[in-house]
Amino acid sequence: MIIVQIILVPIIALVMGLLFMGLFRKMMARIQWRYGPPITQPLIDIIRMFSQKTVTHGFMFEAGLVLSLAGSIVVALFLPMGNITVFETGGLLVVLYLMLLGPLGIALSSGESGNPNSSIGISRKFLLALGYEVPMLLVLLAVMTHYNTISLAEIVRIQAYRGWSFGSFPLLLSGIAYFLILPAILGIRPFEIAGAAQEISSGPKAEYGGKFMAFSTLQHGLQEFIGLSLFVNLFLGGGDLFGLFGMYANTFLGNLLAIVVLLIKMLLVFAVGVCINAAFPRFRIEQALNYLWTWPSLFAFAGIVVIMITG
Amino acid sequence: MTLELLLIVAFGGAFLTYFLGKISGKLRNGFAVLNSLAVLVMTSFFYGMNIEKPVAFGFFDITFVLRMNMVSWFFAITIVGIGFLSIIYSLRYMQNKEKLDYYYFTTLFINASMLGTVLCGDLLSFFIFWEMMSWSTYLLISYRGNDRAVFAGIKYIIMSIIGSMVMLVGIISLYVNFGTLEITELATLIQLAPLGYTLFILILFSISFAVINAFWPFHTWLPDAHAEAVSPFSSILSAVLVRKGMYGLYLFMYMILGLDLLNKLRFGVISFNGVFCWIGAITIVFAALTALLQSDSKRILAWSTVGQGGYMILGVAFSTALGVAGGTFHILNHCIYIGLLFFVAGAIEYSTGGIRDLDSLGGLIKKMPVTFIGAIIGVSGLIGLPLTCGFVSKWMIYKTLILNGSPLLAFFAFLGTWGTILYGYKFIHNIFLGQLPEEHENVKEVPFSMQLPIIILSVLVILFGVLPGIPLKVVNVMDTYMGFESLNINLAGVVSETGALDTINIFMVILVVFVIVGLLFKAGRKSRKTDQYDNYAAGAAIPKGRYNYTVNFYNPLSTIIEKYLKDVVDAFYMKLTGFVTNVGDGIRKLYTGYVGNYIMYIVVFLAFLILIQLRWSVF
Repeated sequence: MIIVQIILVPIIALVMGLLFMGLFRKMMARIQWRYGPPITQPLIDIIRMFSQKTVTHGFMFEAGLVLSLAGSIVVALFLPMGNITVFETGGLLVVLYLMLLGPLGIALSSGESGNPNSSIGISRKFLLALGYEVPMLLVLLAVMTHYNTISLAEIVRIQAYRGWSFGSFPLLLSGIAYFLILPAILGIRPFEIAGAAQEISSGPKAEYGGKFMAFSTLQHGLQEFIGLSLFVNLFLGGGDLFGLFGMYANTFLGNLLAIVVLLIKMLLVFAVGVCINAAFPRFRIEQALNYLWTWPSLFAFAGIVVIMITG
Repeated sequence: MTLELLLIVAFGGAFLTYFLGKISGKLRNGFAVLNSLAVLVMTSFFYGMNIEKPVAFGFFDITFVLRMNMVSWFFAITIVGIGFLSIIYSLRYMQNKEKLDYYYFTTLFINASMLGTVLCGDLLSFFIFWEMMSWSTYLLISYRGNDRAVFAGIKYIIMSIIGSMVMLVGIISLYVNFGTLEITELATLIQLAPLGYTLFILILFSISFAVINAFWPFHTWLPDAHAEAVSPFSSILSAVLVRKGMYGLYLFMYMILGLDLLNKLRFGVISFNGVFCWIGAITIVFAALTALLQSDSKRILAWSTVGQGGYMILGVAFSTALGVAGGTFHILNHCIYIGLLFFVAGAIEYSTGGIRDLDSLGGLIKKMPVTFIGAIIGVSGLIGLPLTCGFVSKWMIYKTLILNGSPLLAFFAFLGTWGTILYGYKFIHNIFLGQLPEEHENVKEVPFSMQLPIIILSVLVILFGVLPGIPLKVVNVMDTYMGFESLNINLAGVVSETGALDTINIFMVILVVFVIVGLLFKAGRKSRKTDQYDNYAAGAAIPKGRYNYTVNFYNPLSTIIEKYLKDVVDAFYMKLTGFVTNVGDGIRKLYTGYVGNYIMYIVVFLAFLILIQLRWSVF
């Protein structure tokens, strides 16, 4: 059974990642009154890119990219997918650290290319990450302290009978803070700083072509999946829908429904994200840091203080 | 084998090395290596022993006590291990430098005196060894002899003396009150002392250990000292010497006072341990953000040494079994990866002719692959990526903080890690990635004797990351020795109901996924290799040699945080130093050298005394 899960979960995550990217382009096009590419365009691109000629800049240029995609897949295996969590060891703390492998791999890989645009992009990416990690860590700590567990699967289980975190009083502030930084985590506008196409030739991706680009695209899709999945699992009850499917608990159908519910929730959150993306221009990095370290951080800080007081 | 023999070999070896150097350089080098290896082997034989024995010394009736237990052994093995690797590394690094007899003698002597501090069982010999360590460290920090090195040395020795004087006051006070300086006797006697006195003693010793451990606000000596010392010694300094402060804290907090007494030192919400935790948290964040602004490879590492000390004290001062185990394990991990990183920085210095400036390097991955792998493993350990030893200890500290209701402390610890990612990546990127400047075209990989320490430590980082049970077994024995309940340790980590850690599981998952993704990648079309100038520049002409982004790598952030990160403590100390210097200069003006002036001082002073006698008749 676990073998099937290990194979299926990454595939679902990858497919969803590609779906997010296709949806993103389609929705943006419709908002801008264009027709837009078909929703399967990212998949078509990836298949095409695998057959293209490529150049490489050295060992780390390849290994970093492999590490990055592998790291992101591993994170997907540690996230709860409905009622299933393939690996639980170490809990949210491990997830938090595994989430570093993706960006670090890309950074090592494109750093070796020797293209300054890539280096600038990485520098921006890390700064942005430092920016949103301040509120995000406060939020995660608030959730872990409130439920008094470091296990992500446990947090989802508790929400199933105590109600979603987003709706419960002490965690509401943290939830708002997380929502405010979600665009930064997903790397969409106004936080499309690291991969700014017009300024720094898409930053870290500047030297990627062919299969390199394909891997980097897959990794990007997974990154979106992870960001959304974490939000839905922590605050919107994961695969739970007000206990509606309680009668199917612990059956195959129940597990399947939970996954579907989770994915639909993620799509809805993502759709909101796309609308935000369409409405905003791009921040400069200082503006982004100023924003991230004021309102979201204040909400997150207030959230954690309330939880420390109320227990 | 006895403990006396160990110390005699360690100290005797140091002196012998010096005199052998007068005969021949090769003989001296060979003997230094053999001596440090012998000390390493001898120390490892003491594993698991519990010895406590007085040695007749006959000096003012004070007995000299030697002792060995798991805590001593843990610190001793890190000292001799890093000492051995550092001597091997020195063979080529220090080749063709001057004053080598002096260098090898001092290095071995420092190692021996550090060994002495952890092996002695009474406070007098502890103090003597401590002073021997401090003074010889001063000699070696200033080894290079230029202005900056001498300044760093002076800065270190002044702060270190203040620390040891405070400790001396504590030792004298203990002797006056209890009439003994033996640690085991003190441990029983101090339980009956009034709480206020206990706190006073603890604070005195804590100041002394905080100075050597470089906790904020006593950190200011460390960045200068680590950056200016020669790299093999920076390794010793950062990996083991500063952590003697942690040994001192273990000694006083848990082995003399004990957990029960420590818990009583609490006034309302403020407890002794709580204050220490917050000092740790401040140290972590302050050091991590300051490290971001540095552009000197060894200064970055020096600041990270300050910051990592914060994690240790956070774990150790939190006083739970898991926290203390995490803090202790972090001492070992830090010793491994910071030693490794200083060796890497030294290798870069060696190969490029002494360059430490991160702004003028780049692209060295192609020239120095082994050093690069060492660097990347070391930085991963520093960040605490899964599968490195740093992860396990940090996980234990975080878990303790979160589940015991201190999320804010955990937040600062986490934030420090994210700062670490930024400066760790900058370290790697500016040295090894990016474009190779033309002047470094002929750089070569360092010789094997310098690679060997890097390789050994890299292997240890991974080994203890995947199988943390090996060191945790020792750490657990230490934990129980200090009065905590035993943890449930297995080879792959920690077992508990509130979230277990299984590193072998994580390792297998990452390995399998990495191999599959790697095979998929290989299955794609083979790539053509291009050189570094063949870059996409959006149609712009590329000026050769200037197309590299390293200077001010995190410029947008540094402009924001720079103004908040003024090291006010350092500025204050420097101002104080300036003030003392001025006062001293003023007083010196009295000594004019004219006999007439001196006679005038005498006359004026006598007149003053007569005046007092006439007015109040006090004499």
